[in-house]
Amino acid sequence: MPSYQLTVNGRVRPVDAEADTPLLWILRDTLGLTGTKFGCGQGVCGSCTVHLDGQAVKSCQRSLKEAAGHAVITVEGLSKDGSHPVQKAWIAEDVAQCGYCQPGMIMTAAALLKRNAHPTDGDIEEAFADHVCRCGTYPRIRKAVKRAAGSVK
Amino acid sequence: MTSRRDFLKVSGAAGAGLVLGLHLEAKPRPGAAAKAEFRPNAYLTVKPDGTVRITVPKTEMGQGVRTALPLAVAEEMDLDWSKIEVVNAQPGPEFKGMQTGGSTSVSSTWTPLRKAGATAREMLKAAAAAQWKVGADQCRTEKGFVVGPGGKKLGFGDLAEAAAKLPVPKDPALKKPADYHLLGKRTPRFDGPAIVTGKAIFGLDVRRPGQRFAAVLRCEVPGGQPKTWDDTRAKAVRGVKAVLKVPTGLAVIADNTWAAFKGREALALTTTWDEGPAKDFNSGALEEKMRAALTGPADEARREGDVDKALAAAAKVLEAEYAFPYQAHATVEPMNTVVQMQAEGAEMWTGSQSPNRAQERAAAALGLKPEQMKVNVALIGGGFGRRLGTDFSTEAAQVAKAAGGGPVQVVWDREDDFRHDLYQPATLHRMRAGLDTSGAISAWAHRIAGPAVLRSWMEGQKSPAQASVEANGALDIPYALPALRVDFAEVEAPPPLGWWRGIEIVPNVFARECFLDEVAHAQGKDPLQLRLDLMGDRGVVKFGREEADIRRLKKVLQVAAEKAGWGRKLPVGHGLGLACHAYDGRTYAAEVAEVSVEKGQLRIHKVTCAVDCGFAVNPAGLEAQVEGGIAFGLSALFSQITWEKGRTVQTGFHDFPVLRLADMPAIETHVVPSSEAPSGMGEPPVPLAIPAVLNAVFAAAGKRIRRLPLGLDSFK
Ligand code: FES
Ligand code: FES
Repeated sequence: MPSYQLTVNGRVRPVDAEADTPLLWILRDTLGLTGTKFGCGQGVCGSCTVHLDGQAVKSCQRSLKEAAGHAVITVEGLSKDGSHPVQKAWIAEDVAQCGYCQPGMIMTAAALLKRNAHPTDGDIEEAFADHVCRCGTYPRIRKAVKRAAGSVK
Repeated sequence: MTSRRDFLKVSGAAGAGLVLGLHLEAKPRPGAAAKAEFRPNAYLTVKPDGTVRITVPKTEMGQGVRTALPLAVAEEMDLDWSKIEVVNAQPGPEFKGMQTGGSTSVSSTWTPLRKAGATAREMLKAAAAAQWKVGADQCRTEKGFVVGPGGKKLGFGDLAEAAAKLPVPKDPALKKPADYHLLGKRTPRFDGPAIVTGKAIFGLDVRRPGQRFAAVLRCEVPGGQPKTWDDTRAKAVRGVKAVLKVPTGLAVIADNTWAAFKGREALALTTTWDEGPAKDFNSGALEEKMRAALTGPADEARREGDVDKALAAAAKVLEAEYAFPYQAHATVEPMNTVVQMQAEGAEMWTGSQSPNRAQERAAAALGLKPEQMKVNVALIGGGFGRRLGTDFSTEAAQVAKAAGGGPVQVVWDREDDFRHDLYQPATLHRMRAGLDTSGAISAWAHRIAGPAVLRSWMEGQKSPAQASVEANGALDIPYALPALRVDFAEVEAPPPLGWWRGIEIVPNVFARECFLDEVAHAQGKDPLQLRLDLMGDRGVVKFGREEADIRRLKKVLQVAAEKAGWGRKLPVGHGLGLACHAYDGRTYAAEVAEVSVEKGQLRIHKVTCAVDCGFAVNPAGLEAQVEGGIAFGLSALFSQITWEKGRTVQTGFHDFPVLRLADMPAIETHVVPSSEAPSGMGEPPVPLAIPAVLNAVFAAAGKRIRRLPLGLDSFK
C-alpha cells in the first residue's frame, strides 16, 4: 500500500492511502481535521481551501501524492487560539452566517494578505472568484479583508 | 388566508414546543453530589460554577438563532454573556414540534424565552433573599449575581441548589425595553469564534467512534430504481466494505468518504435503471401545460368585486406573462446524516430544520417508536428550507439499518444535492390590469400556474388551503384596488418540491411588483407615487385570516426611497427601481436597487433596504439577514433548474450560478424603529431584490424583463 508523509500544521503525519485520494478527504476522514469543508468536490466553491507551501489551494483538487512533501496548513493550524489577524478581523466584522464556507474564505484571505498586504477591491474580487457563500456574507468578507490588511506577516 | 406558517406549526404545542412552568427537579451533577444544577424550565440550566446552559429550540442555519434566542433569556436573567453555553434542543417530550422555517424563530420564542429567564431570575432572587433574610424586593440581579442590601453579592451558581427547591412563580414580570442592556444592542454571533477556528461541528463533521461512510447511488430521475447491477468493481475499490440495496437506491459503505464515492462511481458503470414514470418529464412540455393553465380553470385565492366585468368595461387592459424557473436550495454543505443503530433503537446526528419530523419519519421507516430514535441537531451549513425535508435523514436511517453495526454517515455530493433537491417549482403568471378613462386601475387579475409546493409537503394530498398558500405574496397585495382576483391553477409535475427561502412569495411578488411598474409607466406615473397613492391612508387590512398594517409598509417604502435618493439625477445608463411587501403581514420591507446596463452588461450597484420587523432583537444579526436575503434573491436572477428526460440539467455551482463576491452590490440597511413584537427577518428581504432590480433595468435601459433567469439575450 502506498504510504506518504504529509506535513499538516507543522506535524509530520504518515498516511497510508491511495495516491489519488484528494487531500480534502485525507484531512477530514483520515486525520480528523474537519475544519476544511466539502462543498462541491468540483473545484468551484472554495470551501475546501487550505495552504500548500503558503499558497491557497483547493484541497479537493490536490491529490495526496501531490501534497506529500509540502507544508499543508488548515484552518485549525492558522493560529493556536484564533489570534491570526484574519480570524480576528472576521470576528470584529461578524462575518459568519451559517459559517460553513468561512474556513475556506479565511484561508484565501490569509494567503492573499500574505502576498499582497494591501489588496485593492479588484484584487479581493479576483482572490474570491472561486468561492461561494450561499448565505451572502460577501460585504463583510470584503470589510474583514480590509481590516486585516497590513497585519498578516 | 392560511399561511405556510400554519403548516409548519404542529398541533397543540406552541411554535417553540415549550414547556414553561414545568418544574424540573434539581439534579446533582455526577461526581459532585453536594451541588446541584438549577433547571427551572426546559430552556435553561444554572450550573454550580455559575455557567448557564441555554437550550435553543430552533436550528441554527446562519440566521443567528443561537445568538438571538439566548439573548432573550440572558436579558431577563441578567446573565454574564461570557458565561453562557448554548446547546440545541433534542426532540422529545420537552420539545415537541420543533420547526425552523417561515421566519418565525424569534417571534415564536420571544415571549416564552423571556419568561423562562424571568422565572429563573425571580427564583434566584428569592433564594438569595432567604439566605440574607431580607425581602426579595430588596434584591436585584446583575451580570450573573444577585445583589442585596449593602451591596452583598451571591453568584447564580452558588444559589442554584437553593433556587431549585423554590416554587416556580407563575407570572414573573418581564423587563421594560428601556431597561434592556443586551436586547436591541449589536451582539456578534455566538458561534463566531468556533467558526473561524474550524471547531464548529456541522452535520458533515460529526465523527462517532467506528464511523463508516456511505454514498448512495440514486437514479438520476427522482423516483427511479436500479434494475440490475454488478458490485464486483465497486467492492474492489480499497476501503469499500459493502454494497447494499436500500429504498432510495444502492448504498456503498466504506471506510472513508472518498472510497464510498469511488465505489459508487464504479457501481454506476454496471447499473441499469428503471427510470420510473417521470422519465420523460421536461421543462419545455411543462411550460406548455402551464401556459394552457393560464387561461383554464383555477382555484380562487382571493376575490374583491367583479374583475371580469371591470376588465370588460376598462378603457384599456394591460396584460403580460411573467415566468419564474425551478430553483435549487444549493446549500454549501451538502445533505448528510449520521445514524447509529443500537440494541433498542437508534441515534441520529443531523442538521435538520424539523427535528421532530425527522425523528418520526426515520423511526417509522425503521419500525421504531419516535422515542426510540434519539436525534441530535448539528449545525447547518445553509438551510434555506431544504432541511425542513426529511428525505436525507430517513434515507440515512435506512442505510444504517441495512449496514448493521456501528454508525454510518451518509454523504451526498454536489451532484446528488442538485439532482435530488426538494425544489422551488417553476411558475407562469398571467397579469392583467384594467385602466378606466381617467387612467386609474379599475381591475387587477393575477393568475398563477404551476406545481404546488404544499401538495409535496402534504405527501401528495391537496389541501383546501392550497390556492392561498401558493398565492402568498399575490393575494396579500397591499394596494387598494377596486376589483381584484388572484387564483392558482395547479399543474402537476413529478419533481419533489419543498420550501425555499422566500417560498412562493418570490415569484409572486416578482410578477406583482414588476407588473405594477408596467402599469405606472403606462399611466405616466412615478412608480413610487403610484404605490403610495394605492396605499393611501389604509390602516390594518385583512387578507382572509392574515392582516397587515399598510401604514408600516408605506413608512418603509418612504424611508427606502428617501435614503436611496429616489428621483435624483443619475449617471447615463443607470436606473433606480423599487419594490415593497408586507411579508406574512408581519415584516415590512422595501428595497430600491440602482443598476446600470451598458453594452448589454448588467451591473447591480447598490440595494437600499428599509425594514420594520418590530423590535430589533439584535441589529447586527438583522443586517446580516438583509445582506444574505438580498444575495439569495439576486442569485435567482441568474440561476435555474431545468429538466430533460426526467433529470436536472444542472449538477453543480458551475451551471447553477450563485452570486459571487464580485457580483455583490453594496447593501444599505435602514431599520425603522418599532416597539411591536419582533418578527422574522430571514426571508422578507429575498422577494424584493428581483423586482427592484428588474424595475431598475427598465428605468436604465427601457427593457422590460418578464422572464427569469436573465440570459445573454435579455438585454437585446
Ligand atoms: S469542495 Fe473543493 S472547491 Fe468545492
Ligand atoms: S456563511 Fe453560510 S455559506 Fe457562507
